[in-house]
Amino acid sequence: QRSPLLPLLLLLLLVSCCFCHSPFYIMSILEYNGAAMIAMAGKDCVGIASDHRLGLQQQTVATDFIKVFPMSDRIYVGLAGLATDVQTLNQLLKFRMQLYALREEREMSPQVFSHLLSTLLYEKRFGPYFVEPIVAGLGDDGKPFLSGSDLIGATVKDDAFVVSGTCTGNLYGMCESLYKP
Amino acid sequence: QLLISFTMARRYDSSTTTFSPEGRLHQVEYAIEAINNAGTCIGILAKDGIVMASERRITSGLLAPAKTSEKTYKLCHHAACNVAGLTADANILIDQARLRAGRYEYQYQEPIPVEQLVEHVCNYKQSYTQYGGLRPFGVAFLFAGHDQHHGFQLYQSDPSGNYSGWKATVIGANNQAGKSLLKSDYKEDGTVQEALKIAVKVLNKTMDGTAASADKMELFTMTLNDKKECVHHILTLEEAKRLIDAVEAESASAGDS
Repeated sequence: QRSPLLPLLLLLLLVSCCFCHSPFYIMSILEYNGAAMIAMAGKDCVGIASDHRLGLQQQTVATDFIKVFPMSDRIYVGLAGLATDVQTLNQLLKFRMQLYALREEREMSPQVFSHLLSTLLYEKRFGPYFVEPIVAGLGDDGKPFLSGSDLIGATVKDDAFVVSGTCTGNLYGMCESLYKP
Repeated sequence: QLLISFTMARRYDSSTTTFSPEGRLHQVEYAIEAINNAGTCIGILAKDGIVMASERRITSGLLAPAKTSEKTYKLCHHAACNVAGLTADANILIDQARLRAGRYEYQYQEPIPVEQLVEHVCNYKQSYTQYGGLRPFGVAFLFAGHDQHHGFQLYQSDPSGNYSGWKATVIGANNQAGKSLLKSDYKEDGTVQEALKIAVKVLNKTMDGTAASADKMELFTMTLNDKKECVHHILTLEEAKRLIDAVEAESASAGDS
């Protein structure tokens, strides 16, 4: 015979659950803070854009969170993913750019920068930075350069557009339909 | 001084990690001697910046220089240094300094205070005088930098790992002659332009015998721009020539009165 208190206990448990934060289960740590990032190439130019939202799952915590960073006059990097890694990777890339400029006495080209980013990410292959970056820049010859990569450094170069973040489906759709070379 | 104690010194000079009976580290002293054969470097602190002038020793006209300078190196956006001594040794230390400055800025998101940067390089040099049976670095540096807390600063360091802050100093060949001239000519709270002229004068004295010309001198200035950022500038050949001519004109007219 079960205890007559059991249904009462179950009811109590259910009621107590109602007072905790409303559960939104995330599929991936990359979606924890949220981002929408896009970069596109034009004639002798590139553009890069992102949203400014910083969220903790469904709760919006800031509307002025910067995710696109100028690395030099001719290179911009957009970092979509976990906010702490966005900030850390930005600082790390800045450090590496400065060291390169001091040693080589010249600015890094966007192709080299993209490779550097890829290497940095792969160094953390088994404990990665949770960011999926995109790079937009103008090469030494003025030619536009775009690239995107995954969180462990697999890079893809494109002449048209690259997207990253939590709504890439929407972004890809818009790009494919609206983009004109 | 060294000659008298030469026969005594021989037993104690081969190892860096051994004191002599007189309480000296001979290897370190010999390293310091090596620098007295290097191209002269002068550093002068002005109220609005720092001037570093060095003698460029051009060993051959066939040399194709790989870098902008063999004497002046940028360490980070707010510090630079001048080298007197073995360039190969200097390259190691300059890389150390650049890494240290970069790592500090990465960790604290703030520029490294100049003295801390100097101390780091000097501690690295010191470890080669105490551990491992390695020889000391045959380099002396003049560090020029600016930070928020202490403004413009000039430091000198030598192979022993010792460093000190200066208002004006000279290292390398004929540094004694240079220092004595600075003692009489240096003015506190001078401007960078005035300091440049004094530097050229001193360089003329230490390079005595060789005619002063713009390609034999490297003149570097560090100042702040309107946005309070450090500006590193190595004078172009034209700017250097104009300066040298101005100094020559002044010294010629000074003789007349």
